[in-house]
Amino acid sequence: MKLNKLAALGLVGAVVLAACGSTSKDSTGGTTKETPASPASTTNQGATIRLWLNGADTKQELVDYAIAEFKKQHPNVDVKFERQQWTGIVEKLTTALSSNDSPDVVELGNTQAQAFEAAGALEDLTAKKAEVGGDDLLQSLVEAGTYDGKFYGVPYYAGARVVVYRKDLLQQAGLQIPKTLDEFVKDGITLKQKNASNPNFSGIYFPGKYWFASLPFIWQSGGDIASKQGDQWKGELASDASLKGLATVKTIMDKASGAPKDGDESKDYVSFCKGEIAMLMAPGWKIGQIVNPQDGCPAMADKIGAFALPGGTAGTTAPVFLGGSNLAVSAKSKHQDLAFDLVKIMVSPGYQQKFAAAGTIPALKSLLGQVGGDEAAKAQAEAAKNSRFTPESENWAAVEASTVLPDMLVAIAQGGDVKAEAAKADSAIANTLNG
Amino acid sequence: MVMQLTENPGAAVAAPPPSPGRIPPSRRSLIRRGRRIATPYVLIAPAVAVLVLMLGYPLVRLLMFSLQEFGLRQQFGAPARFVGLHNFGRILSDSYFWDVLWRTIGFCAVNVALTMTIGLLLALLLRHLGRPMRLLVSTGLLLAWAMPALTATVVWQWLFDAQYGFVNWLLTRLGGDYEGHAWLSRPLSFFMVATVIVVWMGVPFVAFTLYAGMTQVPRDLLEAAAIDGAGPWSRFRYVVLPMLTPILMILTALSVLWDFRVFTQIYVLQRAGGINRDTNLLGVYAYRISIGANRFDIGAAVAIVMVLITVLLTLVYLRQMVRQEEL
Repeated sequence: MKLNKLAALGLVGAVVLAACGSTSKDSTGGTTKETPASPASTTNQGATIRLWLNGADTKQELVDYAIAEFKKQHPNVDVKFERQQWTGIVEKLTTALSSNDSPDVVELGNTQAQAFEAAGALEDLTAKKAEVGGDDLLQSLVEAGTYDGKFYGVPYYAGARVVVYRKDLLQQAGLQIPKTLDEFVKDGITLKQKNASNPNFSGIYFPGKYWFASLPFIWQSGGDIASKQGDQWKGELASDASLKGLATVKTIMDKASGAPKDGDESKDYVSFCKGEIAMLMAPGWKIGQIVNPQDGCPAMADKIGAFALPGGTAGTTAPVFLGGSNLAVSAKSKHQDLAFDLVKIMVSPGYQQKFAAAGTIPALKSLLGQVGGDEAAKAQAEAAKNSRFTPESENWAAVEASTVLPDMLVAIAQGGDVKAEAAKADSAIANTLNG
Repeated sequence: MVMQLTENPGAAVAAPPPSPGRIPPSRRSLIRRGRRIATPYVLIAPAVAVLVLMLGYPLVRLLMFSLQEFGLRQQFGAPARFVGLHNFGRILSDSYFWDVLWRTIGFCAVNVALTMTIGLLLALLLRHLGRPMRLLVSTGLLLAWAMPALTATVVWQWLFDAQYGFVNWLLTRLGGDYEGHAWLSRPLSFFMVATVIVVWMGVPFVAFTLYAGMTQVPRDLLEAAAIDGAGPWSRFRYVVLPMLTPILMILTALSVLWDFRVFTQIYVLQRAGGINRDTNLLGVYAYRISIGANRFDIGAAVAIVMVLITVLLTLVYLRQMVRQEEL
């Protein structure tokens, strides 16, 4: 009896395995078909280029434009576009780029790019840099795309965080758009006090895990996350300048924010739609998420404004983290020249102009003046002028993955000693960055 | 087969296929016995093959990783250097690893104890309930058991949400000061919430199995005990419990295995709140090192340590199974 059951189980297992095996074969079938075409790559007859872009940042019409332009140059080559999610993209790229079935052109977040460049996952494009814009490319994205003096990641677009705010709430409190960073903090506290009846109300929404939002305060007071001395990284969060910035963050979390002290920013639009947020530091596209008809609040649209986070004195802006993307050709791509031609189209002025028109910061400096769109887009373009970047190390992605920064902020939000927590984070960050 | 026959027809001639009738009786029984011995192995072969494929190969790879230097570079084709036990030395000398290990063992112990106690009480309840109520309770248990861990954790996490959670709302209504209370922010209350979820998901299996075990306790034994003047507690303690002991042992061993490598519940709760450094358990820790930070080598070493501990625990379980078989 028992034996039969075991055997049956084995059979079932074998069947399941066989089923799995056949599906995975099916899914790769598309690319196996093209292999016979490889030897004839001089004509590229019937080749297929796979393009991976992440999230909703690249609108479909831009993709269509790129494919149409590409088809003009290579009428016999197909472009297969596959949209990926930002969440979990590093894991997915790690497996995809190292497989025989690698996509040809991929988009990498600018904090993630160096890890893949160092690992040898991407094609060296140093010799072709001039063809994709050369000195006209956004410097900080070029740095993200460069490892060990070699150029791998072509700047694609950038984005900076702005302050999204409720015009009506500021008006009710008799406030103008703050002109300095100190004023911004003070206004946040005032707004919180004026709406004290709701304990969830935030003058400035600052959940404990929102480490991106803490960077402008650290940088504005002259601090940084880490610095490189010789070939060794050293944590800088416990430096006097950084501590001053962290103290400001603590003030905001204590007195201006009603957000969960250990929460993250992923559901900020829910609180915003409930009317519990007056000011929010967020990427420019956040307004679109707030007013989206599915789970947002379109009715609030005309009450929402945006401005660039102000700096130390009136008329300046605070340094903000410049987010963005790089495009790269997979080292395992079977059609590297074709893949590069596609990249070339996507950083051409014709394509990048469309980014600028839609309010995204383009990768070409010469187009920065053309950034159009709504209030948020203009605020973003202004904020991006004073932008900084996380430590440029192939191990930075590992620091992010270790969640040391959010851990530190949550501990501070809960009343932990700022200096001690910062020192703890410093040694963890230095350990990871130095390998 | 066919090929061989045509290529070497002589062999077929030299050894003509014996017709069944001509085989001497002794040889026939030998064949039969051979067949009898072979049958189990043939039948178990697919199962073993599947196990080797699905568990054996990854385990060997894991072991390789743990003995190599293996990061993102190696994943992209750089040669992986063997470093012996270096990775193990690195984690074993890291005080944080020991923190996580003891935390995991503590969490596991508390959860198993609670799961077993509540499961046993529920089994007793099931036995004494009337038919309709029993049906209701078992349906509830079954639903809790059938729910995917991820879904269950997300639902529980929302119940305990600091701002919009039901638990805070209820406790505030009941007169407590729980407005905006962040349950996940302190490690102890974080693990309390995690325990609620893990126990909630673990109890149904234990309750059902023990209930099934209890139905096997002969009625006349219990009646005899009652006639001899044993009260409900004594009947449970001296008649039911001894008969349940083997099942209890196995259930405990299984629960230990499950709770030791808990992942989903912790991972999801960590995303919702709390300080990850203070709430990592081994399963999540290994994941964060290997997948998050791309240190596949060190992550594998942590995983190997987990496997070793699990094997030790499984030995207890296997011994119990074997002993029961002998009964």
